[in-house]
Amino acid sequence: MQPPDVKIRRKRLDRGIKARTDSVFVIAAPGDIIYVLAPRVLPVVALLILPFFLSEYHQEVLVHASVVGLLALSWDLLACCGLFSLGQSLFFGVGAYMAGMMDYYLHLSIWIGLPLATLSGGAICSILLAPVVRLKGVYFAMVTLMLPLLFRKIIEASGLLGGTLGLSTRGSFPNEWVAVYLGIIVFLGVLFGLRKLIDSDYGLVLKAIRDDDRAVMSAGINIYARKVQALFVAGSIASFAGAFLTYRYEFVGFSVFAWDYAILPLAAAALGGPGTFAGAALGSMILVPLSEALRAMGGLRIASYCLVLMVSIIALPEGIFSFLERKYHQFESLVEVK
Amino acid sequence: MLQVRNLLVFFENALAINDVSLEVSQGELVAVLGSNSAGKTTLMNTVSGLLLDIQKKEQRRGGERITIMGRVEYEGREIIQQKPSLRVKQGIVLCQERHPVFRDSDVLENLRIAGYLYTRREVKEGIEKVFAIFPVLRRLRKRRAGLLSGGEQQMLAAGIALMARPRLLLMDEPLLGLSPLLQAELAASIKEICRQGITTLVTEQFARPIMPIIDRGYVMENGRLVFSGNREELMDNPEVKSAYLGV
Repeated sequence: MQPPDVKIRRKRLDRGIKARTDSVFVIAAPGDIIYVLAPRVLPVVALLILPFFLSEYHQEVLVHASVVGLLALSWDLLACCGLFSLGQSLFFGVGAYMAGMMDYYLHLSIWIGLPLATLSGGAICSILLAPVVRLKGVYFAMVTLMLPLLFRKIIEASGLLGGTLGLSTRGSFPNEWVAVYLGIIVFLGVLFGLRKLIDSDYGLVLKAIRDDDRAVMSAGINIYARKVQALFVAGSIASFAGAFLTYRYEFVGFSVFAWDYAILPLAAAALGGPGTFAGAALGSMILVPLSEALRAMGGLRIASYCLVLMVSIIALPEGIFSFLERKYHQFESLVEVK
Repeated sequence: MLQVRNLLVFFENALAINDVSLEVSQGELVAVLGSNSAGKTTLMNTVSGLLLDIQKKEQRRGGERITIMGRVEYEGREIIQQKPSLRVKQGIVLCQERHPVFRDSDVLENLRIAGYLYTRREVKEGIEKVFAIFPVLRRLRKRRAGLLSGGEQQMLAAGIALMARPRLLLMDEPLLGLSPLLQAELAASIKEICRQGITTLVTEQFARPIMPIIDRGYVMENGRLVFSGNREELMDNPEVKSAYLGV
Protein backbone atom coordinates (compact mmCIF):
# COMPACT_ATOMS: atom_id res chain seq x y z
CA MET A 1 0.00 0.00 0.00
CA GLN A 2 1.25 3.45 -0.83
CA PRO A 3 0.83 6.35 1.57
CA PRO A 4 -2.52 8.10 1.14
CA ASP A 5 -1.12 11.39 -0.12
CA VAL A 6 0.56 9.84 -3.17
CA LYS A 7 -2.19 8.60 -5.42
CA ILE A 8 -1.17 6.06 -7.99
CA ARG A 9 -3.42 4.36 -10.47
CA ARG A 10 -2.95 1.87 -13.22
CA LYS A 11 -3.17 3.39 -16.65
CA ARG A 12 -3.98 1.28 -19.65
CA LEU A 13 -3.14 2.08 -23.25
CA ASP A 14 -4.07 0.24 -26.41
CA ARG A 15 -1.33 -0.21 -28.93
CA GLY A 16 -2.17 2.09 -31.79
CA ILE A 17 -1.38 -0.41 -34.48
CA LYS A 18 -4.87 -1.85 -34.76
CA ALA A 19 -6.33 1.51 -35.65
CA ARG A 20 -3.70 1.97 -38.30
CA THR A 21 -4.05 -1.43 -39.88
CA ASP A 22 -7.77 -2.02 -39.73
CA SER A 23 -8.44 -1.11 -43.34
CA VAL A 24 -5.24 0.26 -44.83
CA PHE A 25 -2.19 -1.91 -44.64
CA VAL A 26 0.70 0.45 -44.34
CA ILE A 27 3.09 -1.15 -41.94
CA ALA A 28 6.65 -0.07 -42.22
CA ALA A 29 8.71 -1.26 -39.32
CA PRO A 30 9.63 -4.95 -39.08
CA GLY A 31 8.59 -4.83 -35.43
CA ASP A 32 5.09 -3.87 -36.48
CA ILE A 33 4.97 -6.60 -39.11
CA ILE A 34 5.99 -9.21 -36.57
CA TYR A 35 3.52 -7.80 -34.06
CA VAL A 36 0.65 -8.17 -36.53
CA LEU A 37 1.65 -11.45 -38.14
CA ALA A 38 2.98 -13.44 -35.19
CA PRO A 39 -0.36 -14.35 -33.58
CA ARG A 40 -1.74 -15.39 -36.98
CA VAL A 41 1.18 -17.18 -38.54
CA LEU A 42 2.66 -18.94 -35.52
CA PRO A 43 -0.36 -21.14 -34.67
CA VAL A 44 -0.83 -22.04 -38.34
CA VAL A 45 2.78 -23.06 -38.78
CA ALA A 46 2.75 -24.91 -35.47
CA LEU A 47 -0.36 -26.88 -36.42
CA LEU A 48 1.03 -27.75 -39.84
CA ILE A 49 4.39 -28.94 -38.52
CA LEU A 50 3.06 -30.70 -35.45
CA PRO A 51 1.95 -33.99 -37.10
CA PHE A 52 5.55 -34.77 -38.09
CA PHE A 53 6.57 -34.96 -34.46
CA LEU A 54 3.59 -36.88 -33.17
CA SER A 55 2.95 -40.57 -32.78
CA GLU A 56 -0.04 -42.09 -34.52
CA TYR A 57 -2.10 -41.88 -31.35
CA HIS A 58 -1.32 -38.22 -30.82
CA GLN A 59 -2.08 -37.49 -34.45
CA GLU A 60 -5.46 -39.03 -33.84
CA VAL A 61 -5.97 -36.70 -30.87
CA LEU A 62 -5.03 -33.74 -33.05
CA VAL A 63 -7.50 -34.77 -35.73
CA HIS A 64 -10.21 -35.21 -33.14
CA ALA A 65 -9.42 -31.77 -31.74
CA SER A 66 -9.79 -30.31 -35.24
CA VAL A 67 -13.13 -32.06 -35.66
CA VAL A 68 -14.42 -30.71 -32.34
CA GLY A 69 -12.91 -27.37 -33.35
CA LEU A 70 -14.99 -27.40 -36.54
CA LEU A 71 -18.11 -28.08 -34.49
CA ALA A 72 -17.19 -25.28 -32.09
CA LEU A 73 -16.66 -22.89 -34.99
CA SER A 74 -20.03 -23.80 -36.43
CA TRP A 75 -21.61 -23.25 -32.99
CA ASP A 76 -19.90 -19.88 -32.73
CA LEU A 77 -21.19 -18.79 -36.13
CA LEU A 78 -24.75 -19.56 -35.07
CA ALA A 79 -24.19 -17.79 -31.75
CA CYS A 80 -22.95 -14.78 -33.70
CA CYS A 81 -26.36 -14.34 -35.28
CA GLY A 82 -28.28 -14.98 -32.10
CA LEU A 83 -29.10 -18.65 -32.61
CA PHE A 84 -28.10 -20.45 -29.44
CA SER A 85 -27.77 -24.03 -30.58
CA LEU A 86 -27.54 -27.15 -28.44
CA GLY A 87 -27.73 -29.35 -31.51
CA GLN A 88 -24.29 -29.44 -33.04
CA SER A 89 -24.66 -33.22 -32.86
CA LEU A 90 -27.59 -32.93 -35.27
CA PHE A 91 -25.41 -31.28 -37.92
CA PHE A 92 -22.58 -33.63 -37.15
CA GLY A 93 -24.78 -36.71 -37.30
CA VAL A 94 -26.55 -35.70 -40.49
CA GLY A 95 -23.23 -35.11 -42.19
CA ALA A 96 -21.89 -38.44 -40.94
CA TYR A 97 -24.94 -40.37 -42.14
CA MET A 98 -24.98 -38.56 -45.48
CA ALA A 99 -21.39 -39.67 -46.02
CA GLY A 100 -22.31 -43.17 -44.92
CA MET A 101 -25.19 -43.31 -47.39
CA MET A 102 -23.10 -41.91 -50.26
CA ASP A 103 -20.64 -44.69 -49.73
CA TYR A 104 -22.82 -47.60 -48.65
CA TYR A 105 -25.68 -47.22 -51.11
CA LEU A 106 -24.22 -45.18 -53.96
CA HIS A 107 -20.59 -46.37 -53.82
CA LEU A 108 -19.32 -42.87 -54.55
CA SER A 109 -15.63 -42.19 -54.23
CA ILE A 110 -14.52 -40.23 -51.21
CA TRP A 111 -13.58 -37.15 -53.22
CA ILE A 112 -17.14 -36.87 -54.49
CA GLY A 113 -18.84 -38.19 -51.38
CA LEU A 114 -17.13 -35.89 -48.91
CA PRO A 115 -18.09 -32.57 -50.53
CA LEU A 116 -21.49 -33.90 -51.46
CA ALA A 117 -22.16 -35.01 -47.86
CA THR A 118 -20.95 -31.63 -46.62
CA LEU A 119 -23.30 -29.63 -48.82
CA SER A 120 -26.28 -31.93 -48.54
CA GLY A 121 -25.80 -32.09 -44.75
CA GLY A 122 -25.85 -28.31 -44.58
CA ALA A 123 -28.91 -28.18 -46.83
CA ILE A 124 -30.82 -30.77 -44.79
CA CYS A 125 -30.02 -28.98 -41.53
CA SER A 126 -31.09 -25.60 -42.82
CA ILE A 127 -34.31 -27.06 -44.26
CA LEU A 128 -35.06 -28.86 -40.99
CA LEU A 129 -34.44 -25.77 -38.88
CA ALA A 130 -35.83 -23.18 -41.29
CA PRO A 131 -39.29 -23.27 -39.69
CA VAL A 132 -37.88 -22.55 -36.25
CA VAL A 133 -35.47 -19.68 -36.98
CA ARG A 134 -38.22 -17.42 -35.73
CA LEU A 135 -37.57 -18.83 -32.27
CA LYS A 136 -34.99 -17.14 -30.17
CA GLY A 137 -32.78 -18.01 -27.26
CA VAL A 138 -33.77 -20.95 -25.15
CA TYR A 139 -36.62 -22.02 -27.45
CA PHE A 140 -34.31 -22.46 -30.40
CA ALA A 141 -31.92 -24.30 -28.10
CA MET A 142 -34.69 -26.70 -27.05
CA VAL A 143 -35.64 -27.54 -30.62
CA THR A 144 -32.05 -28.16 -31.61
CA LEU A 145 -31.61 -30.26 -28.49
CA MET A 146 -34.56 -32.47 -29.39
CA LEU A 147 -33.82 -33.07 -33.08
CA PRO A 148 -30.69 -35.23 -32.68
CA LEU A 149 -32.56 -37.25 -30.07
CA LEU A 150 -35.38 -37.71 -32.56
CA PHE A 151 -33.04 -38.92 -35.29
CA ARG A 152 -31.29 -41.24 -32.92
CA LYS A 153 -34.53 -42.82 -31.79
CA ILE A 154 -35.87 -43.13 -35.34
CA ILE A 155 -32.74 -44.93 -36.48
CA GLU A 156 -32.73 -47.08 -33.36
CA ALA A 157 -36.40 -48.05 -33.54
CA SER A 158 -37.01 -48.39 -37.27
CA GLY A 159 -33.77 -50.05 -38.27
CA LEU A 160 -33.35 -47.61 -41.15
CA LEU A 161 -29.80 -46.85 -42.30
CA GLY A 162 -28.43 -49.93 -40.63
CA GLY A 163 -30.31 -49.37 -37.40
CA THR A 164 -28.34 -50.07 -34.26
CA LEU A 165 -25.62 -51.81 -36.25
CA GLY A 166 -24.72 -48.72 -38.24
CA LEU A 167 -23.23 -48.64 -41.72
CA SER A 168 -19.78 -49.99 -42.48
CA THR A 169 -18.39 -48.00 -45.35
CA ARG A 170 -15.63 -48.97 -47.74
CA GLY A 171 -14.27 -45.71 -49.02
CA SER A 172 -11.46 -44.24 -47.01
CA PHE A 173 -8.61 -41.83 -47.22
CA PRO A 174 -5.72 -43.03 -49.37
CA ASN A 175 -3.37 -42.76 -46.42
CA GLU A 176 -3.02 -41.42 -42.89
CA TRP A 177 -1.27 -38.18 -43.86
CA VAL A 178 -4.01 -37.11 -46.24
CA ALA A 179 -6.59 -37.52 -43.50
CA VAL A 180 -4.57 -35.67 -40.86
CA TYR A 181 -3.73 -32.78 -43.14
CA LEU A 182 -7.19 -32.54 -44.65
CA GLY A 183 -8.62 -32.20 -41.13
CA ILE A 184 -6.12 -29.57 -40.06
CA ILE A 185 -6.25 -27.54 -43.26
CA VAL A 186 -10.03 -27.45 -43.40
CA PHE A 187 -10.07 -26.50 -39.72
CA LEU A 188 -7.66 -23.60 -40.30
CA GLY A 189 -9.43 -22.57 -43.48
CA VAL A 190 -12.80 -22.45 -41.75
CA LEU A 191 -11.32 -20.56 -38.81
CA PHE A 192 -9.80 -17.80 -40.92
CA GLY A 193 -12.69 -17.84 -43.38
CA LEU A 194 -15.24 -17.26 -40.64
CA ARG A 195 -13.15 -14.52 -39.08
CA LYS A 196 -13.03 -12.85 -42.48
CA LEU A 197 -16.75 -13.40 -43.01
CA ILE A 198 -17.81 -11.90 -39.71
CA ASP A 199 -15.74 -8.79 -40.39
CA SER A 200 -17.38 -8.31 -43.78
CA ASP A 201 -20.62 -6.45 -44.36
CA TYR A 202 -22.43 -9.77 -44.47
CA GLY A 203 -21.12 -10.68 -41.03
CA LEU A 204 -22.06 -7.27 -39.76
CA VAL A 205 -25.69 -8.00 -40.57
CA LEU A 206 -25.45 -11.34 -38.75
CA LYS A 207 -24.06 -9.67 -35.64
CA ALA A 208 -26.71 -6.99 -35.86
CA ILE A 209 -29.39 -9.70 -35.89
CA ARG A 210 -28.02 -10.99 -32.62
CA ASP A 211 -28.04 -7.54 -31.05
CA ASP A 212 -31.41 -6.30 -32.23
CA ASP A 213 -33.33 -8.26 -34.83
CA ARG A 214 -36.16 -5.77 -35.10
CA ALA A 215 -33.80 -2.94 -35.95
CA VAL A 216 -32.32 -5.09 -38.72
CA MET A 217 -35.79 -5.95 -39.97
CA SER A 218 -36.73 -2.31 -40.10
CA ALA A 219 -33.63 -1.67 -42.19
CA GLY A 220 -35.31 -3.76 -44.87
CA ILE A 221 -33.23 -6.92 -44.45
CA ASN A 222 -34.88 -10.32 -44.46
CA ILE A 223 -33.45 -11.71 -41.24
CA TYR A 224 -35.00 -15.14 -41.66
CA ALA A 225 -33.26 -15.64 -44.98
CA ARG A 226 -29.99 -14.53 -43.38
CA LYS A 227 -30.47 -16.90 -40.48
CA VAL A 228 -31.15 -19.81 -42.83
CA GLN A 229 -28.02 -18.93 -44.78
CA ALA A 230 -26.03 -18.89 -41.56
CA LEU A 231 -27.58 -22.25 -40.67
CA PHE A 232 -26.49 -23.63 -44.03
CA VAL A 233 -22.90 -22.49 -43.53
CA ALA A 234 -22.76 -23.71 -39.95
CA GLY A 235 -24.51 -26.95 -40.90
CA SER A 236 -22.08 -27.56 -43.75
CA ILE A 237 -19.09 -27.03 -41.50
CA ALA A 238 -20.37 -29.46 -38.89
CA SER A 239 -21.51 -31.91 -41.59
CA PHE A 240 -18.01 -31.91 -43.00
CA ALA A 241 -16.74 -32.85 -39.57
CA GLY A 242 -19.21 -35.73 -39.42
CA ALA A 243 -18.50 -36.94 -42.95
CA PHE A 244 -14.79 -36.67 -42.31
CA LEU A 245 -14.98 -38.93 -39.29
CA THR A 246 -17.20 -41.42 -41.15
CA TYR A 247 -14.58 -41.81 -43.86
CA ARG A 248 -11.82 -41.95 -41.32
CA TYR A 249 -13.36 -44.68 -39.18
CA GLU A 250 -15.08 -46.36 -42.15
CA PHE A 251 -18.15 -46.65 -39.99
CA VAL A 252 -21.14 -44.60 -38.99
CA GLY A 253 -23.53 -45.50 -36.16
CA PHE A 254 -26.26 -43.66 -34.32
CA SER A 255 -23.79 -42.62 -31.63
CA VAL A 256 -22.94 -39.66 -33.87
CA PHE A 257 -26.10 -38.05 -32.54
CA ALA A 258 -24.77 -38.33 -28.98
CA TRP A 259 -24.64 -35.52 -26.46
CA ASP A 260 -20.85 -35.26 -26.58
CA TYR A 261 -20.87 -33.61 -29.96
CA ALA A 262 -23.27 -30.95 -28.73
CA ILE A 263 -21.63 -30.24 -25.40
CA LEU A 264 -17.94 -30.45 -26.26
CA PRO A 265 -18.02 -27.67 -28.88
CA LEU A 266 -20.11 -25.51 -26.60
CA ALA A 267 -17.67 -26.01 -23.76
CA ALA A 268 -14.75 -25.30 -26.08
CA ALA A 269 -16.31 -22.04 -27.23
CA ALA A 270 -17.13 -21.01 -23.68
CA LEU A 271 -13.59 -21.78 -22.54
CA GLY A 272 -11.90 -19.95 -25.41
CA GLY A 273 -14.26 -16.99 -25.58
CA PRO A 274 -17.38 -17.03 -27.71
CA GLY A 275 -17.83 -14.63 -30.61
CA THR A 276 -14.22 -14.61 -31.71
CA PHE A 277 -13.96 -17.97 -33.56
CA ALA A 278 -10.31 -18.12 -32.60
CA GLY A 279 -11.54 -18.61 -29.06
CA ALA A 280 -13.62 -21.60 -30.07
CA ALA A 281 -10.68 -23.06 -31.99
CA LEU A 282 -8.29 -22.49 -29.10
CA GLY A 283 -10.79 -23.95 -26.65
CA SER A 284 -11.11 -27.18 -28.59
CA MET A 285 -7.35 -27.40 -28.98
CA ILE A 286 -7.14 -27.26 -25.18
CA LEU A 287 -10.15 -29.32 -24.20
CA VAL A 288 -9.72 -32.39 -26.42
CA PRO A 289 -6.07 -33.05 -25.57
CA LEU A 290 -6.91 -32.35 -21.93
CA SER A 291 -9.67 -34.90 -21.94
CA GLU A 292 -7.26 -37.42 -23.50
CA ALA A 293 -4.56 -36.63 -20.96
CA LEU A 294 -7.03 -37.18 -18.16
CA ARG A 295 -7.87 -40.64 -19.47
CA ALA A 296 -5.37 -42.10 -17.03
CA MET A 297 -7.50 -40.91 -14.15
CA GLY A 298 -10.18 -43.43 -15.00
CA GLY A 299 -13.53 -42.71 -13.39
CA LEU A 300 -12.44 -39.31 -12.11
CA ARG A 301 -11.76 -38.14 -15.65
CA ILE A 302 -15.10 -36.51 -16.28
CA ALA A 303 -15.18 -35.02 -12.79
CA SER A 304 -11.80 -33.35 -13.14
CA TYR A 305 -12.73 -32.29 -16.65
CA CYS A 306 -15.86 -30.57 -15.34
CA LEU A 307 -13.81 -28.96 -12.61
CA VAL A 308 -11.33 -27.48 -15.07
CA LEU A 309 -14.20 -26.13 -17.14
CA MET A 310 -16.02 -24.58 -14.21
CA VAL A 311 -12.93 -22.98 -12.71
CA SER A 312 -11.88 -21.47 -16.02
CA ILE A 313 -15.32 -20.13 -16.75
CA ILE A 314 -15.68 -18.57 -13.31
CA ALA A 315 -12.17 -17.17 -13.22
CA LEU A 316 -12.06 -16.01 -16.84
CA PRO A 317 -15.60 -15.44 -18.08
CA GLU A 318 -14.44 -13.51 -21.12
CA GLY A 319 -12.61 -16.59 -22.39
CA ILE A 320 -8.96 -17.46 -22.72
CA PHE A 321 -8.60 -16.03 -26.20
CA SER A 322 -10.25 -12.70 -25.39
CA PHE A 323 -8.02 -12.41 -22.35
CA LEU A 324 -4.84 -13.11 -24.30
CA GLU A 325 -5.89 -10.81 -27.13
CA ARG A 326 -6.57 -7.98 -24.69
CA LYS A 327 -3.27 -8.42 -22.93
CA TYR A 328 -1.44 -8.59 -26.23
CA HIS A 329 -2.84 -5.25 -27.34
CA GLN A 330 -2.46 -3.31 -24.11
CA PHE A 331 0.27 -1.54 -22.25
CA GLU A 332 -0.23 -0.96 -18.58
CA SER A 333 1.69 1.43 -16.41
CA LEU A 334 1.41 3.03 -13.01
CA VAL A 335 0.91 6.76 -13.10
CA GLU A 336 0.62 9.31 -10.38
CA VAL A 337 -2.64 11.21 -10.13
CA LYS A 338 -2.13 14.93 -9.82
CA MET B 1 -24.56 13.95 6.64
CA LEU B 2 -22.87 13.17 3.34
CA GLN B 3 -19.45 14.49 2.53
CA VAL B 4 -17.71 13.83 -0.74
CA ARG B 5 -14.11 14.94 -0.81
CA ASN B 6 -11.79 15.13 -3.79
CA LEU B 7 -13.58 12.39 -5.62
CA LEU B 8 -11.89 11.13 -8.79
CA VAL B 9 -13.40 8.50 -11.03
CA PHE B 10 -11.64 7.18 -14.10
CA PHE B 11 -13.24 5.09 -16.80
CA GLU B 12 -10.13 3.54 -18.28
CA ASN B 13 -8.05 6.68 -18.95
CA ALA B 14 -10.91 9.15 -19.15
CA LEU B 15 -11.75 11.26 -16.18
CA ALA B 16 -15.48 10.99 -15.47
CA ILE B 17 -15.46 12.80 -12.14
CA ASN B 18 -12.71 15.31 -11.61
CA ASP B 19 -11.93 16.33 -8.06
CA VAL B 20 -15.49 16.77 -6.85
CA SER B 21 -16.16 17.81 -3.28
CA LEU B 22 -19.67 18.36 -2.04
CA GLU B 23 -21.63 18.25 1.13
CA VAL B 24 -25.22 17.49 2.04
CA SER B 25 -26.42 18.13 5.56
CA GLN B 26 -29.33 16.61 7.42
CA GLY B 27 -32.77 17.49 6.08
CA GLU B 28 -31.54 19.36 3.02
CA LEU B 29 -32.76 19.05 -0.53
CA VAL B 30 -29.72 19.49 -2.74
CA ALA B 31 -29.59 19.40 -6.53
CA VAL B 32 -26.71 18.58 -8.85
CA LEU B 33 -27.31 20.22 -12.20
CA GLY B 34 -25.45 19.32 -15.35
CA SER B 35 -25.85 18.42 -18.98
CA ASN B 36 -25.41 15.00 -20.52
CA SER B 37 -22.12 13.30 -19.66
CA ALA B 38 -21.34 15.81 -16.94
CA GLY B 39 -20.84 12.93 -14.51
CA LYS B 40 -24.08 13.17 -12.57
CA THR B 41 -25.00 9.51 -12.82
CA THR B 42 -21.45 8.42 -12.06
CA LEU B 43 -21.54 10.61 -8.96
CA MET B 44 -24.81 8.99 -7.86
CA ASN B 45 -23.45 5.52 -8.55
CA THR B 46 -20.35 6.29 -6.54
CA VAL B 47 -22.27 7.51 -3.53
CA SER B 48 -24.70 4.59 -3.67
CA GLY B 49 -21.88 2.10 -4.21
CA LEU B 50 -23.28 0.77 -7.46
CA LEU B 51 -20.06 1.75 -9.17
CA LEU B 52 -18.16 -0.83 -7.13
CA ASP B 53 -20.42 -3.48 -8.56
CA ILE B 54 -20.05 -2.15 -12.10
CA GLN B 55 -16.32 -2.02 -11.55
CA LYS B 56 -16.21 -5.66 -10.52
CA LYS B 57 -18.34 -6.78 -13.45
CA GLU B 58 -16.29 -4.83 -15.96
CA GLN B 59 -13.15 -6.29 -14.50
CA ARG B 60 -14.42 -9.85 -14.85
CA ARG B 61 -15.61 -9.21 -18.36
CA GLY B 62 -12.27 -7.68 -19.22
CA GLY B 63 -13.97 -4.41 -20.08
CA GLU B 64 -13.25 -0.88 -18.95
CA ARG B 65 -11.12 -0.43 -15.89
CA ILE B 66 -12.81 1.85 -13.41
CA THR B 67 -10.69 3.62 -10.81
CA ILE B 68 -12.27 5.34 -7.83
CA MET B 69 -10.29 7.67 -5.58
CA GLY B 70 -11.10 10.13 -2.89
CA ARG B 71 -13.33 10.04 0.15
CA VAL B 72 -17.04 9.60 0.62
CA GLU B 73 -18.14 10.05 4.20
CA TYR B 74 -21.60 9.25 5.44
CA GLU B 75 -22.44 10.31 8.98
CA GLY B 76 -18.76 10.63 9.73
CA ARG B 77 -17.77 7.19 8.44
CA GLU B 78 -15.74 6.45 5.35
CA ILE B 79 -17.87 4.34 3.00
CA ILE B 80 -16.08 4.43 -0.33
CA GLN B 81 -15.23 0.73 -0.24
CA GLN B 82 -18.50 -0.43 1.30
CA LYS B 83 -20.82 -2.77 -0.57
CA PRO B 84 -24.00 -1.18 -1.96
CA SER B 85 -26.21 -3.54 0.06
CA LEU B 86 -24.54 -2.40 3.26
CA ARG B 87 -25.07 1.22 2.31
CA VAL B 88 -28.78 0.61 1.78
CA LYS B 89 -28.97 -0.85 5.28
CA GLN B 90 -27.40 2.34 6.59
CA GLY B 91 -29.99 4.42 4.77
CA ILE B 92 -28.41 5.45 1.46
CA VAL B 93 -30.95 4.57 -1.20
CA LEU B 94 -30.63 5.27 -4.91
CA CYS B 95 -33.54 5.81 -7.25
CA GLN B 96 -31.95 5.19 -10.63
CA GLU B 97 -32.60 7.16 -13.79
CA ARG B 98 -35.17 6.05 -16.37
CA HIS B 99 -37.40 4.67 -13.64
CA PRO B 100 -36.43 1.01 -13.43
CA VAL B 101 -39.34 -1.05 -12.06
CA PHE B 102 -40.18 -4.74 -12.13
CA ARG B 103 -42.24 -4.61 -15.28
CA ASP B 104 -44.07 -7.89 -14.94
CA SER B 105 -45.15 -7.42 -11.33
CA ASP B 106 -47.97 -5.16 -10.24
CA VAL B 107 -47.50 -1.97 -8.28
CA LEU B 108 -48.18 -3.50 -4.89
CA GLU B 109 -45.79 -6.37 -5.54
CA ASN B 110 -43.13 -3.90 -6.61
CA LEU B 111 -43.44 -2.07 -3.33
CA ARG B 112 -43.44 -5.29 -1.34
CA ILE B 113 -40.25 -6.51 -2.99
CA ALA B 114 -38.65 -3.19 -2.15
CA GLY B 115 -39.52 -3.64 1.52
CA TYR B 116 -37.54 -6.85 1.64
CA LEU B 117 -35.40 -5.71 4.59
CA TYR B 118 -38.34 -5.01 6.87
CA THR B 119 -41.08 -6.85 8.72
CA ARG B 120 -44.55 -7.31 7.32
CA ARG B 121 -46.01 -4.57 9.53
CA GLU B 122 -43.33 -2.11 8.58
CA VAL B 123 -43.91 -2.90 4.92
CA LYS B 124 -47.61 -2.23 5.29
CA GLU B 125 -46.92 1.11 6.95
CA GLY B 126 -44.38 1.94 4.29
CA ILE B 127 -46.85 1.23 1.50
CA GLU B 128 -49.41 3.50 3.17
CA LYS B 129 -46.79 6.24 3.37
CA VAL B 130 -45.94 5.86 -0.31
CA PHE B 131 -49.62 5.99 -1.22
CA ALA B 132 -49.99 9.14 0.88
CA ILE B 133 -47.23 10.83 -1.11
CA PHE B 134 -48.30 9.42 -4.49
CA PRO B 135 -52.09 9.01 -4.33
CA VAL B 136 -52.15 7.93 -7.99
CA LEU B 137 -50.43 4.70 -7.11
CA ARG B 138 -53.22 3.64 -4.74
CA ARG B 139 -55.66 3.63 -7.61
CA LEU B 140 -53.23 1.65 -9.80
CA ARG B 141 -52.01 -0.78 -7.18
CA LYS B 142 -53.12 -3.91 -9.06
CA ARG B 143 -51.80 -2.82 -12.46
CA ARG B 144 -48.66 -4.33 -13.95
CA ALA B 145 -45.79 -1.87 -13.67
CA GLY B 146 -44.87 -2.31 -17.32
CA LEU B 147 -48.25 -0.91 -18.31
CA LEU B 148 -47.92 2.30 -16.31
CA SER B 149 -47.14 5.60 -17.99
CA GLY B 150 -43.68 7.11 -17.67
CA GLY B 151 -44.74 9.47 -14.92
CA GLU B 152 -46.48 6.74 -12.98
CA GLN B 153 -43.45 4.50 -13.34
CA GLN B 154 -41.25 7.29 -12.03
CA MET B 155 -43.53 7.66 -9.03
CA LEU B 156 -43.39 3.94 -8.48
CA ALA B 157 -39.59 4.01 -8.72
CA ALA B 158 -39.52 6.75 -6.11
CA GLY B 159 -41.94 4.69 -4.00
CA ILE B 160 -39.67 1.67 -4.31
CA ALA B 161 -36.76 3.77 -3.07
CA LEU B 162 -38.86 5.04 -0.17
CA MET B 163 -39.76 1.49 0.84
CA ALA B 164 -36.13 0.89 1.76
CA ARG B 165 -36.54 3.58 4.42
CA PRO B 166 -33.84 5.94 3.24
CA ARG B 167 -32.26 8.57 5.37
CA LEU B 168 -30.33 9.84 2.37
CA LEU B 169 -32.34 9.52 -0.82
CA LEU B 170 -30.43 9.80 -4.09
CA MET B 171 -32.64 10.56 -7.08
CA ASP B 172 -31.02 10.33 -10.48
CA GLU B 173 -32.90 12.49 -12.98
CA PRO B 174 -36.37 11.84 -11.60
CA LEU B 175 -37.95 14.32 -13.98
CA LEU B 176 -36.40 12.89 -17.13
CA GLY B 177 -38.88 12.45 -19.96
CA LEU B 178 -41.95 13.73 -18.15
CA SER B 179 -44.32 16.44 -19.29
CA PRO B 180 -43.93 19.87 -17.65
CA LEU B 181 -47.18 19.37 -15.75
CA LEU B 182 -46.05 16.04 -14.33
CA GLN B 183 -42.62 17.46 -13.60
CA ALA B 184 -44.17 20.11 -11.38
CA GLU B 185 -46.33 17.51 -9.67
CA LEU B 186 -43.42 15.17 -9.04
CA ALA B 187 -41.21 18.03 -7.84
CA ALA B 188 -43.86 18.86 -5.27
CA SER B 189 -43.84 15.22 -4.15
CA ILE B 190 -40.08 15.30 -3.81
CA LYS B 191 -40.37 18.38 -1.65
CA GLU B 192 -42.93 16.51 0.44
CA ILE B 193 -40.55 13.57 0.83
CA CYS B 194 -37.86 15.94 2.00
CA ARG B 195 -40.23 17.62 4.41
CA GLN B 196 -40.78 14.25 6.08
CA GLY B 197 -37.14 14.35 7.16
CA ILE B 198 -35.47 12.45 4.34
CA THR B 199 -32.33 14.16 3.12
CA THR B 200 -32.44 14.21 -0.66
CA LEU B 201 -29.83 14.63 -3.37
CA VAL B 202 -31.34 15.12 -6.83
CA THR B 203 -29.61 15.31 -10.19
CA GLU B 204 -31.25 17.06 -13.07
CA GLN B 205 -30.51 18.34 -16.54
CA PHE B 206 -33.01 21.13 -16.63
CA ALA B 207 -33.11 23.35 -13.61
CA ARG B 208 -36.45 25.01 -14.16
CA PRO B 209 -38.83 22.41 -12.69
CA ILE B 210 -36.78 21.70 -9.58
CA MET B 211 -35.48 25.19 -8.91
CA PRO B 212 -38.47 26.11 -6.75
CA ILE B 213 -38.05 23.17 -4.37
CA ILE B 214 -34.32 22.93 -3.72
CA ASP B 215 -32.35 24.42 -0.85
CA ARG B 216 -28.95 24.37 -2.48
CA GLY B 217 -27.45 23.34 -5.76
CA TYR B 218 -24.22 22.38 -7.47
CA VAL B 219 -23.48 22.75 -11.16
CA MET B 220 -21.36 20.08 -12.84
CA GLU B 221 -19.59 20.34 -16.15
CA ASN B 222 -17.37 17.64 -17.66
CA GLY B 223 -16.93 15.97 -14.32
CA ARG B 224 -16.05 19.14 -12.47
CA LEU B 225 -18.10 21.22 -10.05
CA VAL B 226 -18.12 24.69 -11.56
CA PHE B 227 -20.55 26.50 -9.31
CA SER B 228 -22.35 26.00 -6.05
CA GLY B 229 -24.72 28.06 -4.02
CA ASN B 230 -28.17 28.29 -2.57
CA ARG B 231 -31.26 28.71 -4.67
CA GLU B 232 -31.10 32.47 -4.94
CA GLU B 233 -27.45 32.47 -5.88
CA LEU B 234 -28.12 29.89 -8.57
CA MET B 235 -31.04 31.85 -9.93
CA ASP B 236 -28.96 35.00 -10.08
CA ASN B 237 -25.92 33.49 -11.74
CA PRO B 238 -26.03 34.52 -15.41
CA GLU B 239 -24.27 31.42 -16.68
CA VAL B 240 -26.59 29.06 -14.86
CA LYS B 241 -29.49 31.08 -16.12
CA SER B 242 -28.51 30.77 -19.74
CA ALA B 243 -27.38 27.16 -19.57
CA TYR B 244 -29.94 25.50 -17.33
CA LEU B 245 -32.90 27.80 -17.08
CA GLY B 246 -33.13 28.62 -20.74
CA VAL B 247 -33.63 32.30 -20.07
